[in-house]
Amino acid sequence: MRSSMTILFILFNLLSYFTWSVAKKIKDEDFSEFDDFDEDEFVVEPPYSPGANQLSSKTQSNKPEVAKVDDSFQSLSSKSADIKVNDEVTIDDEDDDLMFDEEEFETSDGYSSSSPATSTIPDLKITEIPANLTSNHWEAYHCEAIMLLLLLGYLINFLLGRSKNARLADIVYRSQRDLLERNFCLVGDNGQTRTTQSADDSTVNDSTTNKMQKESESLYILWCSGRTAIESMLMEVRLAKRQCLFNSLAAMIKSSNDMLIYTADYSKEDMETFVFCLAKKHCAAKLHRDMNDLSQFCSERKTSDKRGLNNGNYQILSEIGEVSSAIIDNRVVDFIEKYPDVLEYIHISDQYTGMKIQNDTQQSSPNTTPNAGSTAQQQDASNTSERSVRHVLIIAFNLVARNSRSLEITTETVGSDYLRFVLQLIDRVNSFRFTLKESKNKAIKNRQRIEEQFLKNVYQQRQEQAQQRREEKRRAEKEKIMQSDDPERQRKWEEKEHKREMKRRQPKMKQMKVKAM
Amino acid sequence: MDNRRQARIHRFRPALITQIDDALPDYMNLMGMIFSMCSLMLKIKWCAWIAIFAALVGFANSRTTDDAKQVLSSFMLSISAVVVTYMQNPAPMTIPFMQ
Repeated sequence: MRSSMTILFILFNLLSYFTWSVAKKIKDEDFSEFDDFDEDEFVVEPPYSPGANQLSSKTQSNKPEVAKVDDSFQSLSSKSADIKVNDEVTIDDEDDDLMFDEEEFETSDGYSSSSPATSTIPDLKITEIPANLTSNHWEAYHCEAIMLLLLLGYLINFLLGRSKNARLADIVYRSQRDLLERNFCLVGDNGQTRTTQSADDSTVNDSTTNKMQKESESLYILWCSGRTAIESMLMEVRLAKRQCLFNSLAAMIKSSNDMLIYTADYSKEDMETFVFCLAKKHCAAKLHRDMNDLSQFCSERKTSDKRGLNNGNYQILSEIGEVSSAIIDNRVVDFIEKYPDVLEYIHISDQYTGMKIQNDTQQSSPNTTPNAGSTAQQQDASNTSERSVRHVLIIAFNLVARNSRSLEITTETVGSDYLRFVLQLIDRVNSFRFTLKESKNKAIKNRQRIEEQFLKNVYQQRQEQAQQRREEKRRAEKEKIMQSDDPERQRKWEEKEHKREMKRRQPKMKQMKVKAM
Repeated sequence: MDNRRQARIHRFRPALITQIDDALPDYMNLMGMIFSMCSLMLKIKWCAWIAIFAALVGFANSRTTDDAKQVLSSFMLSISAVVVTYMQNPAPMTIPFMQ
């Protein structure tokens, strides 16, 4: 959740930055065609204007020369003088032209030749051909190629991760199938078929079919029911999200294990009333904070003194003192010693209501169906005055590779050991009863306290809702009266409201007066 | 000792699965839609590609109970965003900070 939020936050920042830079670029590019136009069209012009200027300056400089020539040849005939002048002028002009040609204008020929032509042929625009239409077609699309490769890489990772997860779930199922079928009448149910598989005689009970249900690419579940001591058992195989490349990369930073979680539901008579949890240190803190029942009933976390648990790896949250020693017997300790770091937590509770809900989402929703998740209390608060609690035993195992074998091989060998441990603990919890009377009294007292708190909350919420409804009704009435445009009615209604307010403020005083008399 | 009891069979209810708040598929769907709209309206090519990624990640992390139509519509929208953006401007994509 947090990682997805941080990813979302980072992507949002990137998006806003890119949008800003692109918007800026688009704005700059809006007038780019004019820039190109200026560069291309008027590339010939600079020679024009300086040339024109120079020409005009040259002619201007010629004029004084012509004047001088005129003066010097005044004695000669005007014609010859003129001719000479003209010759000189023309010569000068030619010289000037040559000077212009050689020194100033590379394109003078073009100028002189095209000057008559410009009037008839329009200006030539040299447009830039986009890169993708030049000879190298596909090489220009290197970004797209990178994107396609990334997509392909993600797809391949998805298929590989999905198949690995499916294989792991299958191995878990096959390693425990026999033991499950020896202990439960119903193994595998999706809740949607009209009859369960065990009752359906027409289908052949094929032992090779995998009865696990796939909830997502990383979550497989198996429902088992029909056994003494419990109502049902749900086995969840929660695997790491190998199918998502980003999750796999995040897993390199923060490792996430594959987990196997068993949730056994008891009926009220099958289980004693206590709340207990044995968990690894970091997990214990999280559960104590997040779980409703553990935070309400268990005040502190303790480190156990028992052998195998005294290295400080595990912590205990217990409501009743004698439960710890009764539940954590030799079998549990032996299991932990045999498989260190495998047992993540054991959570036993007769007041299980799921995780704590956020404060800002505490809106009642009367239409939600009753469930035992985190919305149970909300729905109960609004509709019924009973908390829907479950009596559960939850055991979580980590699936880790041992003895330098692969994960698959390890899971295959130890799968049935885990299930055997779970079944033993189920029977132990079922058979356990308080030996000390004060334990029972303490449990009853705690539950009464929590029940009272809950009822108080329900009552408060109901009051608030009734108040809100009354306010809304009054507002609707007021709207109606105001819209009716009848001053007489408005006045009457305001008087009624005023009387109601006075009545509400004064009754206590009146009651006291009567008592005194 | 046979512990099986036929009388104690209870049917499965989906509400009994441990609820874990994983909103990643929903975020990815939303992101896919936003980036698709950005690419269509602002004609930004890399937005369209990111929309395809978001749709793909949303699909990979989706639950089986989720509506397949939503995932499919997210995919179709992102692919149409890519196609339309390239039809409008067939030039190769440029990443803004790498020019």
